Amino acid sequence: MSQARVEQQRPASGAVLLVLVGLGIAFALLVALLAAAKAHTGPIYGEANMLYAALVLYTGAATLYMGYGVTGIERYVSAASLLTALGFAANTAAVAHRWSVAGRPPFSNMYEMLLSFVWTLALLTLIAERAYKVKIIGSITMPITVVSVILMQLLPSEVRPLVPALQSTWLQVHVTLAMLSYAACAVSFALAMMFLIQDNMKTEGFQAITATGMIAVYAGMLITRFRSGNLAVTAYDLESKSEVMISRGHPLFVQIPDLGWLYLLVLVSAIVPLVLYVAAQVKKDRSLFDVASKGMFVTILLQVVGLAIFVTRVKNGRYGAPEADGLYATAMPANPFLLAGIVGGIVAGLLYLLLLWRREGLQKMMPSADKLDTVTYKIICIAFPLLTLMIAAGAYWANQAWGSYWSWDPKETWAAITWLVYAGYLHMRITRGWKGRRAAWFAILGFAVVIFTFFGVTYLLPGLHAYAAG
Amino acid sequence: MGLKSIWTKIYQTLSSVRTGIFLIIVVGVFSAIGTVILQRPTSEPSDLQRAYSPETLLWLDRLGLTDIYHASWFLVLVCLFCLCLIFVSLDRWPNAWKVYANPVRFATAPFRASLPQSVKIPVKDGVAALSVAESILGRVGFKAERVTNNGETGLFAEKQRFSVFAVYLVHLSLLFICAGYYLVDSTIGYRGYIQVPEGQALSQILLRDNRGGETKKMLPFQIRCDGAGMEAYADGSPKKWWSNLTLIENGREVVAKKIVVNDPLSYKGIRIYQSSMGDTGELKSLVLTATPSNGGIVETVKVPQNGKAALADGESVSVLRWIPNYYIQDNEIFKKSDDLENPAIQLGLTDLKGETKKLWMFPVQLNRTKDEDVSYVFSLAGQPQMVQFTGLQVSYQPGQFEVWIGVVLMAFGLMIAFYTQHTRVWATVISDGKGGQILWAGGTTNKNRDRFQAKFEQIKAALQEELGGAAQANKNSENTLTKA
Repeated sequence: MSQARVEQQRPASGAVLLVLVGLGIAFALLVALLAAAKAHTGPIYGEANMLYAALVLYTGAATLYMGYGVTGIERYVSAASLLTALGFAANTAAVAHRWSVAGRPPFSNMYEMLLSFVWTLALLTLIAERAYKVKIIGSITMPITVVSVILMQLLPSEVRPLVPALQSTWLQVHVTLAMLSYAACAVSFALAMMFLIQDNMKTEGFQAITATGMIAVYAGMLITRFRSGNLAVTAYDLESKSEVMISRGHPLFVQIPDLGWLYLLVLVSAIVPLVLYVAAQVKKDRSLFDVASKGMFVTILLQVVGLAIFVTRVKNGRYGAPEADGLYATAMPANPFLLAGIVGGIVAGLLYLLLLWRREGLQKMMPSADKLDTVTYKIICIAFPLLTLMIAAGAYWANQAWGSYWSWDPKETWAAITWLVYAGYLHMRITRGWKGRRAAWFAILGFAVVIFTFFGVTYLLPGLHAYAAG
Repeated sequence: MGLKSIWTKIYQTLSSVRTGIFLIIVVGVFSAIGTVILQRPTSEPSDLQRAYSPETLLWLDRLGLTDIYHASWFLVLVCLFCLCLIFVSLDRWPNAWKVYANPVRFATAPFRASLPQSVKIPVKDGVAALSVAESILGRVGFKAERVTNNGETGLFAEKQRFSVFAVYLVHLSLLFICAGYYLVDSTIGYRGYIQVPEGQALSQILLRDNRGGETKKMLPFQIRCDGAGMEAYADGSPKKWWSNLTLIENGREVVAKKIVVNDPLSYKGIRIYQSSMGDTGELKSLVLTATPSNGGIVETVKVPQNGKAALADGESVSVLRWIPNYYIQDNEIFKKSDDLENPAIQLGLTDLKGETKKLWMFPVQLNRTKDEDVSYVFSLAGQPQMVQFTGLQVSYQPGQFEVWIGVVLMAFGLMIAFYTQHTRVWATVISDGKGGQILWAGGTTNKNRDRFQAKFEQIKAALQEELGGAAQANKNSENTLTKA
């Protein structure tokens, strides 16, 4: 029996090697990124060291989970699970240390929110694995935690005292609920994708989803940051560890020459497979799928090259801006949106490749479609009340701090739209009995809106206006 | 055809869930569009002018796209949605009430046929089988009651009957929120801004209108600022902004409070928030170093605005003119701004005979007076103190109570709607038409059918095991008896 299994897996072993090499390169890249991170001082149990430990453990766990995804070796999961639990312990220590130093829960800036988000995501992964026996979920959530922790290493992390507007218990409640509900939405998304895999959706379909995601990332980036061939990035003062501001609320954008063209090329390379997919669907010509599949390799490769060039150019060099004289440095922490987008695109690409090469193995490892469908629904049942309370707490806080419970601020509006989408999911599921594929698509749409609310509203919408103004 | 049929048509359209869902999607889409176009109430007029060309801006304004959430057509959409909620609820209410008040306790033949979940098991002894069914239902959490109908006996059990009202609770909560926000707060409510310098009492606030301008509004009381300031952390970042405010109504002090960010003052539904803080440009006091020209003792004096400070030799010094940021044009001194950047100070030195000499000082260029024929040289010691103003946000939102009621109702309503379900089960003994008896059991739920299906399968399995087994056992024992 086991002999038969090994036989079955042999044709994929070349691909396995490729994925492992890819993972190795990704890990080397992460370590290189970390070289830019701050020196770790303070007590061994201190936040920085604990977070570093969590990063190492999470990276190990992510690699093992993905290794499990590739090879299907069960032993990897128990080891990955152990590493996740240890990383979670270190993460908890980091949170606790920061909490005790600051004297308040860590939710006040991007760094602290990511710290809490990672903690929640690791916890939910462990719960999903133990309680619902969804083992493969770690190969999606753990890479997200790794990317988040790396992003955190690059963000300013000093414990800053709270400015007056943030000194409210309601804000803490609001942000805690937001983190919990967004993490639950992330898990429901992963489960919905897995459902689609188990529901025998064609691999070309996932290729189209991946390509659409990549197009969204690069189109968003180019709409806001493309300046006649150059890529605009936020200037960063390395000494004060802060963005360079022209005036209040208007950061200075410097332009990295020609990077805009490269990203335009990436965008085009991501559009090609999607167009081919649509053409193949319309013409019912399967040979076009194979071409589209090759196109995906090209775009993933280009994206990795794009990331490497982005990192090196950001690290070494000073750039000019039309609004200001002189040359300015820039840094990763000033551009979390760009970095998250590029890394997110590559991760999505790697997951797609995993599916492409190891679909049968993956399907054997995952719970049944019915089970995944039910668990997705259960997780959304948890996410939705959290989302509701999060919006209510936010409105109550705004009423205390700004004099109005609802002022149609873009963040508020998009939170309400997110709420509507998930309310729609539950409504359709409960009263109309929507389940299976339609429900899964609904859950995916919900998470896309969450991502937009989290990243798009913060970086894309103001960027859009900054561009219009420029 | 006629008026009546048109009304029927409108009623039918508005009382359909489809219309409601369509409307909410349209509202959602326009809300999303409103986050992409700069909105008047949340952005500075200059930002809009920079972002859009004059013609574009004109059209955006005309179409209400720069203030979507308060545009008349958006209000119409919201009103239609509310009407739809009301009609949908009215349309379905009688049925829900019937289910709640007069539940079908006995499953008659036509009712049995309409149930999606049911099971039939041939039994020997109908009465005993019903008892078995009763205990099985009890084990899975249904406390069954015995019901008789025209001499027939049946079982009926239900759970969470109140669940049928959840949808009305959610609809009602949405109506509360919409009414609170649009009917009350957007009509009689307002939100404005006022700057009150220390020591003054003002009552006129500025409201931003949806055309980029400002309108004035008088509050029914005056706000007096008795002091304002900022506390900073060790690293200089702000820790606390505070203002001591007193409200004066009809010449009487009615309420006083020290407000800080996140802790507003509330009086008769009008709430006053700490929003900003700054210098008015007027001088509060100066500290000067006075050096006698003849080499006497150097002294430091504090000069209040509109006051004098006595010097050691009996003379006195006062501030005649104060310009926080000056510029010179045609040999005249003018004020450039109220910010303390490049001040010009004219001091008056009054001698023992009562004659005043005017002395100019420009501390940024040269921190001392230059006049040589006077008895003192003055220089500035430390930052001049200016009169602070406190920037206050004033908001009147009487509809917020409806909104909070709506939020609480919605929380309850959603919990009930999504996490409870009205489940009902029936059982009765029917005849198989050939003289035998059949135990029939059936059930239904108003939502979350999969879950109930699983539950019913459990009931079915238990019934089949115990009754099917019992019937078998009965048969066996009968067989044995006959054999014997």
